[in-house]
Formats: sequence, structure tokens, C-alpha cells
Amino acid sequence: MDLAFDDTQAAIKDSCERLFARHAGPARARDLRRDNGCDRALVQALEGDGFADLFGADGAGPLTAALVVEWAGEAAALAPIGNRLLVAPALLAETPPTMVAVADADRLDAVRFAADADLLIVIDGDEVRVAARGDFAAVPVKSKFGYPFAQVSDVRGTPLAPGSGAVARRWRQVAIAAEIAGTARAALDLTTRYLRERLQFGKAIATFQAVQHRIAELHVSVDSAEWAVREAAWHHARADLAAAAALTACEAAQRAFQETHQLTGAMGFTIEYDLHLWTMRLQALRHEGGGPRAHARDLVRARWKENG
Amino acid sequence: MNFDWSAEDAAFRAELKGFLDAELPADFDAFTLDPHDQKAFSKAFGAKLADKGWLVPAWPRAYGGLDQSPWQQLILSEEMVAHGEPRTAQYMCVNWVGPALILAGSDEQKAYHLDRIRRGDVTWCQGFSEPDAGSDLASLRTRAVRDGDDYVINGEKIWTSYADVADFCFLLARTDSDAPRHQGISIFLVPTDAPGLTITEIPSIFSEGAFNQCVFENVRVPASWRLGPENAGWPIIRQLLVNERIGVARFRRAGQTLDRLAQMAVEQDLIDDPLVTDALAKAQAACDAARVLIYRVVDEKAKGSAPDLNAYVYRVATTRAERAVYDACMAVEGAGGLIKGSFGALQFGHALATGIATGTTEMQLNLIARDVVGTARN
Repeated sequence: MDLAFDDTQAAIKDSCERLFARHAGPARARDLRRDNGCDRALVQALEGDGFADLFGADGAGPLTAALVVEWAGEAAALAPIGNRLLVAPALLAETPPTMVAVADADRLDAVRFAADADLLIVIDGDEVRVAARGDFAAVPVKSKFGYPFAQVSDVRGTPLAPGSGAVARRWRQVAIAAEIAGTARAALDLTTRYLRERLQFGKAIATFQAVQHRIAELHVSVDSAEWAVREAAWHHARADLAAAAALTACEAAQRAFQETHQLTGAMGFTIEYDLHLWTMRLQALRHEGGGPRAHARDLVRARWKENG
Repeated sequence: MNFDWSAEDAAFRAELKGFLDAELPADFDAFTLDPHDQKAFSKAFGAKLADKGWLVPAWPRAYGGLDQSPWQQLILSEEMVAHGEPRTAQYMCVNWVGPALILAGSDEQKAYHLDRIRRGDVTWCQGFSEPDAGSDLASLRTRAVRDGDDYVINGEKIWTSYADVADFCFLLARTDSDAPRHQGISIFLVPTDAPGLTITEIPSIFSEGAFNQCVFENVRVPASWRLGPENAGWPIIRQLLVNERIGVARFRRAGQTLDRLAQMAVEQDLIDDPLVTDALAKAQAACDAARVLIYRVVDEKAKGSAPDLNAYVYRVATTRAERAVYDACMAVEGAGGLIKGSFGALQFGHALATGIATGTTEMQLNLIARDVVGTARN
């Protein structure tokens, strides 16, 4: 084992930081949210640098792809990067198109990024259907929860090989967990800075132990999610690890939402302050793919009900 | 970044597991034995491990170890707890008493103690906490006063695990009452049969013999039993407490309980009950999180940096895992978990103790906050 970034990962991290500084960040997220849009240009930039296809690349692989998804979430990137970098390459032989949406057949009323998708992946039990733009209808719906959502209907599309449903669910769990890990990390870091700067009773509120313990517990949750998802990606979304990572990430998402808002007080209610750019998304990510209930069922099945 | 075990590490685990599977009954759990039976068992079993070099494999070869890596030390810890911790209290001497002696001991102390620990002949207890010094350990008041070639020790230690069966006590005492409180503490290696030392069991809500009070009344020890320089005990303590906090692979033992519990839930057709599913899954996810977070600590150790922040993070995560497994026990067993011998009744003690032993969760959280938020340390 070696848990440090290898040379490739360190180099990609540097490049991503530069790329996200130009193409992501709070100001860019605000611009996109104004029109309920998302960031095709960002995914194209990732494709241009070769970072969209790390999943099957020599010297990289799914873990490196998952790291990019983490960092994108941290940078408030508003694009279906987890779908494009992790879910689509696990299912498709050919290079996926830029914008990929993933939905469950029984939950089509609020699908992230569907209105902008070039390709829609629909998981239906053991089966997966893929539909190109034009082979499904997507009507944008209004939501305050950080992403563009659309109601999907009339999906035509072609089925993938039987058994693809399990593969799709496992990789989507890794993708969700990676997005949550990065997004929650950013909310934690922003709040940590706030605690140092916000003065009450004549001192930084970070000096109060009641506050310190809450932020420290959150730190443990975010670290847990981050490392659980890295291990799951390394082991190619092994069913139990992928479900456990998603469940751990959901716990981190919930705690991050509650604690960062509680600690930021009324400032966190304002659109002016950046916190909501990450925290509102955490609520959405926590419920994607059936949420903790589905991840728990998958984990129990993978660990104790199969092969025995 | 690479999460695969090396071939060498995998082979060590397989060999160790094969040995333990052959030597121990499948559901062996040393902690269900009476304390004195534990001691007899651990001495006999310790000798078998010593023959293989597996009692102290992480120690340097010069002291009878195998110079194994921190990764192999983790494997040893995982496999031991997965097999019911047949070393019982000996894990303490192996994990931190020995390393403290190697770090700070005189040649005579090393010659006398390390060989006994290596052979599995002795157990130790930790003379740290006092009635008025728990989390605030540096406020301890047990005094050791120099008298010629000796020290005379007076004071009281409390909540001391294994003191009733231990051969030696790793004792912290104040040797300078005027110095700043962290700078007046020394360590003494005191035999538990020293005249003037009275050890009394404190009945506890866990199992019998878990807890003791140790009263020192004019206990006279030669100055040569002091570990390290006078008044310089604290830095040694700080270093070895990190070893202690990551020393027991609690997530693994808890995870093993969880596997057996889930098996019971399958057999009793409870596994699809939504509350059972939820509790089992949360517990498994918490055990997995603790496991991968200890990997991070071990990786740092293996690369020669002293783990600090990440060891505290792991400790909080492993406490969460112990508690989540207890919740799962009660979800599956219900009131049956109150009965002696049930998963719940056994896990109850582990879940409660983990958040308190070797520094309370609140102390770990203070230390995490210090590093993460950069709050001043008072």
C-alpha cells in the first residue's frame, strides 16, 4: 500500500487546480445558476487535457478519475463530471459524449443535468438503457438545490448487456461519494476559515470548545468519505466498498450541511455568502440514486446475502 | 496511490491466520475468560507466539524483533483481534511499553525487561490516571521524592486495567512540584509486588476484574528504575500514546462481531427488516471507514513521519464503528442483547470503553480542532 499521490496524480492535481481556477469556482457557479445551466465548456476542457478519459488510461485508472471528480466538486464545478469520468466509461466501449446524465427508471421526476445531456443512462433493475439526445424528453424543473434538474420522459434508447444495472449502480455510488467528498471538503474549509475570522464576545468563535468539537467531528466524517471512496475506486467499485463509500459519504453530506450552516449562523442563509454553492448540492447528492436507503440495501446484499 | 497489499504482507497475513486458526477455537474470545484464566492463557499462548517471533515482530532485531514494517504490525493487530486477542493484556507491552523502553531505557532496563516481554513472560499495567487527573493527565499528583539512591513514591492511581494481574506498572509520578506541570513528570518501572503498593479491584459495569485502584504508600524504588531522564517523562508519554491509540485494531474485532451478527440476522430472517438493514449497513460502513483511516496513519508511520492529527481522526472513527456495531447488535437481538454472552452484552462494553480509554473522544476532538482550525492550545 502507498497512500500518497503518485507522480501522475500529483501532476494532474496541479493541472486541475489551474483548470478549475479558470473554469470553475464560486463566481462561475453563480453565473451558470442564474440561467439554470451547467458547464459544458469545463467538461470540454477536461476532455481536451485528456482528464475525462483517465478511467481506462495507462498509468491512471478509475482511482485517478475519482480524484478528479473529488477536486471538481471542491471547486464547485457545475457539470456531470462523475457521470462522464466514472459511470459512462464503466458501461460503454466507445468514448462517451461530453454531457452524460444518469437516472433510475422509477425516479425520473428530477434528473440532474438531463436537459443538457448528450446521453442519458437509465438504470432499471439489472438492465441499463442508453438514449442519445432526441431519444428522450427532458423538461427543466425548478429547484434551489444547486444543480439543474429536469423531468425525464419518453425514453427510447438501446439496452446494454444484461447485468449492466449492477455495474452502473456501483460506479454511480463511487461517483456520488467522490462528488460529496470534494463538495463537503469545500464547505468544511470555508466554515473553518469563517470560525477563525468571525468574532463574538471579543474573540474568534473558533476558540469555543462547543464549536471546535462540531467542526472536528465533521472533519472526521469528510476524511472518512474521502478515503472510503478512494479505496472503492482503487478496487474497481467492488460492490460492498462502493455501497459503503456512498453510505459514508451520505453521512458526511448530511453532517456537513447541518454543521456548516449551524456554525455559520444567519450569514449562511444569504445568497451573497458562498456556502450554499456547496451545501445545497450536498442535499441533492445525498438523495441521488435512491439515497442512503438504497446504498444500505446494496451493502447488506453484497456483504452478507450473496454467495451464501 | 495503491491500496493493494504487497505479496510479502499478504503472505505474512496468510501464515499468521493459518497458525491462529489451527491453534484457537473458531469463536475464541479471551475477554470472556476470567482475568486470572486470561493471564494463564496469555502466558502459555505468548510463549508459542514468541517461538515464532510473533510477539514482538515490529521491534528491531537487536531487541529480539523481526524488524517488521508498520503495515505488518497492523496485520498482526488485525489478525490477533480477529482471533479473540489471545495475547490479552500483553498487547500493551508489545505495542507501547517495549517501544518506550527501546526509546528511552538504560542498557540494564532493556536487558531486564525487553527479553521478558519478548518471551511473553510478563504483563504490564498503565499507572496514569488519578482521581483528579483523568483527561487532564498532566495535573497528576503522585509524587516520587529522591532519597539517596532511591525514590519514595506516594499517591494513588485509579481505573487501572489489568493491575491485579500485571507484573509491572508503567508509572507516571511528579518529581518536581515547582516546574511547569509538563516538565516535572518522570516515568518509573515498578513491580506490582513492591512493598507499600496496594492494588484493589474496583467493581465495574463491564466484566469482573476490569478495573483497579493502586495506592502507593512510601513505595521505595531504586533510581535505576526511572525510565529516561528525571522530569522528562512527558515527551515519552506523548510519543507512546500515539502507539496506544492505533495499537488495537478495534474496527476489525467490531467488524467480526458484525459479520456473526449479520449471519444471525440471515438465519432468523431479519436481514430485510428495514431497521436491521439500516443498522447493519451503517455499522459496516463505519468499520470500513475506520479501517481505511488507519491505513492512512500506518502509511505515514511507514514513511517515517510521526502520525498525529490522523491518528486522532482514526481514533474517533473507530469509536464510531464500535458504537454503530452496538446499535446493530441491539437492532438484531433486541432485549436478547441484554443477556450475558449475547453479541449486544459483549459489544456494550467495547462501545462504551472505546470513547474513554486512552484519552476520551473529547480529547481527540480537541486535538483535531487544534490542527484543523488552528485554535490555540491551553
